[in-house]
Amino acid sequence: MLRIITCFKWVIDQADIKTSPGSRELLLDRASYRISDYDRFAIEEAVSLQEQHGGSTAAITVGSPAARKSLKDVLSRGPEKAYFVNDPSFDTLEPSQTASILASAIRSQLEYDLIICGEGSGDLYAQQVGPRLAEALNIPMTTCVSKLTVYGTQIIAERKLDDGIEVVAIPLPALVTVLPEINTPRIPGLKDTLAASKKPVVDIKATDLGQSFEPCLQTITILASSMERNGVKFSADGADIRKFVEVILKTGNIS
Amino acid sequence: MAGVWILADNRDRTLELLNVAAGLAEKLDTKVAAFLWNDSQLAEDYIAHGADEVLILPSLEEDQPLEAYIPTIVEEALRQDPDIFLVAATARGKEMAARIAGRLNTGLCSGCTALQFDETGKKLIMERLVFGGAAVQTVTCLTRPQMATIAPRTFAPAVPLGDRTGQVRELAAGLPGLVRIVDRKPKAKQSGDVSDAKVLICVGRGLEKEEDLALVRELANVLGGELACTRPIAEELHWLPEETYIGLSGQKVKPDIYIGVGISGQIQHVTGIRDARLICAINRDENAAIFEVSDYGIVGDLYSVLPELTREFKRALGAGKE
Amino acid sequence: MAEEKFTAIIVGAGPAGSTAAYLLAQEGLDVLLIERGETPGSKNMFGGRMYSYALNQVIPGFWEEAPLQRPVVKETVSFMSGKRSVSMTCQDQNWLQTPVHSFTLLRAEFDAWLANKAEEAGAMLACGIRVDDVLIESGRVTGVRAGEDEIHADVVIAADGANSLLTERAGLRKALLPGQVATGAKQLIELSADTISQRFQLEDKQGAAYLYVGSCSSGMQGGGFLYTNLDSISLGLVVNVADLQRNQYKINELLEDFKSQPQIAPLIAGGQVAEYSAHLVPEAGFNMRPELFGDGILVVGDAAGFVINLGYQVRGMDLAIASGAAAARTVMQARAGNDFSEQGLSQYPDFLKQNGVWDTMEAYRHTPLFLDTRRLYEAYPQVVTDLAADAFTVDGSPPEHLLGKMMRGVKSSSIKWSQLAGDAWKGGRSL
Ligand SMILES: Cc1cc2nc3c(=O)[nH]c(=O)nc-3n(C[C@H](O)[C@H](O)[C@H](O)COP(=O)(O)OP(=O)(O)OC[C@H]3O[C@@H](n4cnc5c(N)ncnc54)[C@H](O)[C@@H]3O)c2cc1C
Ligand SMILES: Cc1cc2nc3c(=O)[nH]c(=O)nc-3n(C[C@H](O)[C@H](O)[C@H](O)COP(=O)(O)OP(=O)(O)OC[C@H]3O[C@@H](n4cnc5c(N)ncnc54)[C@H](O)[C@@H]3O)c2cc1C
Ligand SMILES: Nc1ncnc2c1ncn2[C@@H]1O[C@H](COP(=O)(O)O)[C@@H](O)[C@H]1O
Repeated sequence: MLRIITCFKWVIDQADIKTSPGSRELLLDRASYRISDYDRFAIEEAVSLQEQHGGSTAAITVGSPAARKSLKDVLSRGPEKAYFVNDPSFDTLEPSQTASILASAIRSQLEYDLIICGEGSGDLYAQQVGPRLAEALNIPMTTCVSKLTVYGTQIIAERKLDDGIEVVAIPLPALVTVLPEINTPRIPGLKDTLAASKKPVVDIKATDLGQSFEPCLQTITILASSMERNGVKFSADGADIRKFVEVILKTGNIS
Repeated sequence: MAGVWILADNRDRTLELLNVAAGLAEKLDTKVAAFLWNDSQLAEDYIAHGADEVLILPSLEEDQPLEAYIPTIVEEALRQDPDIFLVAATARGKEMAARIAGRLNTGLCSGCTALQFDETGKKLIMERLVFGGAAVQTVTCLTRPQMATIAPRTFAPAVPLGDRTGQVRELAAGLPGLVRIVDRKPKAKQSGDVSDAKVLICVGRGLEKEEDLALVRELANVLGGELACTRPIAEELHWLPEETYIGLSGQKVKPDIYIGVGISGQIQHVTGIRDARLICAINRDENAAIFEVSDYGIVGDLYSVLPELTREFKRALGAGKE
Repeated sequence: MAEEKFTAIIVGAGPAGSTAAYLLAQEGLDVLLIERGETPGSKNMFGGRMYSYALNQVIPGFWEEAPLQRPVVKETVSFMSGKRSVSMTCQDQNWLQTPVHSFTLLRAEFDAWLANKAEEAGAMLACGIRVDDVLIESGRVTGVRAGEDEIHADVVIAADGANSLLTERAGLRKALLPGQVATGAKQLIELSADTISQRFQLEDKQGAAYLYVGSCSSGMQGGGFLYTNLDSISLGLVVNVADLQRNQYKINELLEDFKSQPQIAPLIAGGQVAEYSAHLVPEAGFNMRPELFGDGILVVGDAAGFVINLGYQVRGMDLAIASGAAAARTVMQARAGNDFSEQGLSQYPDFLKQNGVWDTMEAYRHTPLFLDTRRLYEAYPQVVTDLAADAFTVDGSPPEHLLGKMMRGVKSSSIKWSQLAGDAWKGGRSL
């Protein structure tokens, strides 16, 4: 029986990111949140492996109490149980802290054969939590997985790397981070949504973990990335296209 | 001991990191050490390009991936206590850096796009993109070594510095890891590389069918450019190879001119063209986001604009040559 | 999983649906509230102002907790004609007294809050789910279908807005015709809170509502509106769909044109457009209402056509909330008698009468016909603005008394005296 854990993050919807007029300051107070896009693939992979091999899937997230809203959503996507590690201070974690907290919660509360993470979180996209979590749990791991098969007590993973595909075999327990091309996440239906509200949620508070988690990175600022460009528009009629060509050639960027 | 360490998959990436590392080492009054494997020939080359020490990793068993070097590197780091450790942000580099940082219990700035050295605090001030490229986060590392992964081509490669000497040291082999390679499928080398192209014509889902790529290709030919695309064109429609899509999860490019055709301009794509010298766009929706990040745009149907544009460029360029 | 059955399934987490769900859940009923948006309100838009009385009956003192923008203390109506406009302003500080008369608000946050109230009260909220059909068994609505999934209930409440699929599927109304709906388009324009207060001469955090009739809609049936939020402005137009089609205008072009009018441009200068949205407004009025209830189904809010559209002013949220409340009371009564048939739900109009929805709709019964009078959008604004401009223009020619000016103004316009008299009579009765 395969016991799978899938790690997901509740992140700000990028479409809602606004900057205050005339400055590069971000206005995030009205932004809505969603399950990180990349993590939807991790969740789907966990659930479809469970469908093939039996066993169980638990979803886990670390966040501030506001991330509780994510639980019904994640459970409607198939996992049968959710672990919610929360504390008001958990909304500004850096990856090393997140990984330590996950490791601590998993070690004390969950049994597993396979942990599946996303390629990177939708907000920080640090691509660190998966590898760091594996190190903290001292289990083998691999990243960039585009195809995953389970054979008894080992997995075969296809990794998509810069120079080609590498197929690796890893004994369980193990951790993988998966790429979006690995599957197509299903969209939860009405019954999935109804079922989700009956599934168990395990609440884990910072104090339950019995240790503190110091940051290794300090954020100094987060500012809107400016992309100031000319913004000149031409119409599609002949004269305008000719003008466009002239202007472009004048910039000297085509030789 | 201290030092500025660098780790990269190949020579190109190593030279880029040597370039930054040399400057940092000077400020810290310390040495640059570069890791090397497979090809000990390169040791002298790296020294000529600024390395003071080359750390040679022993060759691996056939079935061992590069990540099997992690324990050896970690051990060496614990012994030598480097102050800064820079890793090329390739697929492997990112995994290795994160795992090494995890074992060393230190901070890692992933995908660093710019860095400065703060003389007073003797620390790196590093920038990286967050929220899919919509914002820039500036971080410092509170622990040592200060680690960062650096995207390919963020820095120019180091130039050879003439008569330089340095040390070459071989590290002891570690135990084989639990992850074993069972198969490799190297990628066939593509003709034309979007990451180096000076002129890029990039297509998006505004194109209706694969055959219509011919229209775009014609323009590329006239301008001597390469074809690139958005993610859906490569990943969903498979009209162009995967290594030609640009963006957050694809290639980051720095062409002299980028012309986006039928591209909406979502942030995940636009992040990849941030450093283009000139950005142009053709889209029939005048409110398309791509126009907000363009220098020059044409509002119109690509099917009528492209042929005309190609003709005009051909005429203008032809005339110029006469 | 055992087949689940709810007492009520409410389709649409707009103000009407969430109100009904909140009240029913409070009574301990099994309620399922289904919303197609990822979050309630995520796709909803309106002009910008809600009258408080209805929600105050459901959640007394709601302004203590609801996400609202500014309480409105100032109303302005402008008649626009070419280069001229005439405005009338009314400021009333009494509107600030509790229950505060009306608030500007943003739907994304307000709708999410109200749906959350329903969820807290015990309703089950399913977002991101589009209902595709009603289930009908021997003539009676027994539930809904969304994708593959069918869920049953004693009663279904159609709160799915202007273009209600449910009422159509349940056979309570026919598909809407272009003339029976208007299109509203709106931009949210960001400006600092201080700039807004200064420009509109408002005290800190108080709000204004500006309504426009006349050439803002290119002479078509409709009008413009502007509401002040805390640090943004809601600016938009409402235009009849048949008119739009006839004139081949695009609503977003009309809106851009409206923004550039000299009466509007300075009010929004320097602002950043943060959002653009468009939405349908039912405008056929009470005469064209669908069947309000059937066997196992009730219709509330926009789905029932409970909107008063004066062109320049659209009012529907208060009616949506009040009708949602009336539907909840109807369901509670039906449950007491365990009769959800058409007969068991037939008290619904009575409850609508008790809380004013019915009478309000009755009172405005003739408005749609009156508003269809094209003179309202071209000729009258022109006469009014010409007249006023005349009265204020001094150019040395011999003075004329106001009555004379008026007579001349009307005479020189395209309006016939008989039309004027008729319109005045109709207008007085229907507005
Ligand atoms: C986590 C994540 C990572 C991602 N990473 C990347 C990435 O690295 N790179 C990337 O590209 N995308 C990435 N995406 C996808 C990205 O969000 C967009 O979906 C994608 O870039 C859109 O591609 P497009 O512009 O080709 O298509 P669309 O968004 O569909 O735009 C097509 C455009 O063509 C225009 N058009 C249509 N017909 C015509 C015509 N006849 N003439 C002129 N114009 C026309 C339309 O107006 C429209 O603006 C990522 C998404 C996620 C969630
Ligand atoms: C331009 C404009 C300006 C307006 N200005 C004002 C104003 O200033 N003041 C005022 O009081 N009123 C105004 N109104 C009217 C007001 O917006 C509506 O009367 C009010 O929103 C009606 O509420 P409702 O709950 O009935 O419908 P809606 O608010 O439309 O809610 C319907 C809900 O149902 C959901 N839904 C629809 N179909 C399905 C389905 N098949 N499955 C699942 N969910 C579904 C929708 O997503 C939506 O959330 C304006 C309207 C417009 C268009
Ligand atoms: N707060 C979190 N809770 C649970 N899992 C997380 C969290 N943050 C990141 N992860 C997981 O780690 C992956 C990489 O995140 P990151 O290192 O932030 O890019 C994500 O795709 C998730 O699977």
